[in-house]
Amino acid sequence: MSDDELITLEELTVVCAVSAEWVRERVAEGLLPERFDTLAVRRVRRMRSLERDFDAAPELAALVADLLEELDALRAHLR
Amino acid sequence: MEFKDYYQTLGVPREASADDIRKAFRRLARKYHPDVSKEADAEARMKEVNEAYAVLSDAEKRAAYDQLGRGYRPGEEFRPPPDWDAGFEFSHHDFQGADYSDFFAELFGRMGTRAHGEDHYAKVLLDVEDAFLGATRQIALRAPKVDARGRVALETRTLNVKIPAGVREGQLIRLAGQGAAGAGKPGDLLLEVHFKPHARYRVQGRDLHVDLPVAPWEAALGAVLRVPVPGGALNVRIPAGAQSGRVLRVRGKGIPAEPPGDLLLAIRVVVPPADSAQARALYEQMARDMAFDPRAGA
Repeated sequence: MSDDELITLEELTVVCAVSAEWVRERVAEGLLPERFDTLAVRRVRRMRSLERDFDAAPELAALVADLLEELDALRAHLR
Repeated sequence: MEFKDYYQTLGVPREASADDIRKAFRRLARKYHPDVSKEADAEARMKEVNEAYAVLSDAEKRAAYDQLGRGYRPGEEFRPPPDWDAGFEFSHHDFQGADYSDFFAELFGRMGTRAHGEDHYAKVLLDVEDAFLGATRQIALRAPKVDARGRVALETRTLNVKIPAGVREGQLIRLAGQGAAGAGKPGDLLLEVHFKPHARYRVQGRDLHVDLPVAPWEAALGAVLRVPVPGGALNVRIPAGAQSGRVLRVRGKGIPAEPPGDLLLAIRVVVPPADSAQARALYEQMARDMAFDPRAGA
């Protein structure tokens, strides 16, 4: 991944409406990658809405995000 | 402005408990979840459900909404009385104006003016061709603005934005100083680029995927084909013996980013119909003269 595809923590918090603290906690727990790209934007939005809408624990939201990412890959492969 | 019945949106009675409201919201959030929902308008419905829940799950907003909404029917023309929200203390400012309706913004948008400029963001939908040629787009942005009387109204701003060639799906474009104005320096505007679905083109990262229908003789004998791509056409050599499903990679002919992506052509052999005497005769001759069993080894 080249650097111009990466986005900053600050940009991630703006486009996903989460706090920097929220992101840092999940990076520390290994639920989010340490470097952010456009796939991370999608992952953060999914985890945020799962946690907010269903009171999901961060680990459960990350697990669902993993499954959805696998679903994305399979759907792309099917096309 | 039309009155919105948030209770109807969530399908709960007006006297519903906080627990009932949460349950109704979760049921709908699952039903309209964008990743799994089969409903055509899932995204729009989810927005309405989110907005209704933002009001009804917050005791302060719900009380204000209940007092205000007495006597209104959904869809009815609605004007909030001046200073209707005096006496209500809204302590949560955790919403983004752009996600909610005018109705919501009129009721609750006056809360929480910002002390200083913030970075804002908006999504912009482009055609695949724009990534090849570059484009200029007019983008209408709505943001709360404080008037002389200290009230907040939604203000629409139109920006002309130049989209550079080589832009990728999901890329962020930062426009310095175009975010929310505040007491201090204005913030930046972040534009998130997405492509509209296209009948022939599909973008994945920097790569452009295109379906390439070919005639059986082009696939069998090989051919040089003129393939239309965004902003022009390319000559592409099809190797002899190509089969359906084979993907040809043309390096450097995808999104013209730095470095450029690749063009991926998925070959699909299309069988001509035997709809004339001559076409039938050709097929019959092939059946007689060619020792070909597509199921050999199956």
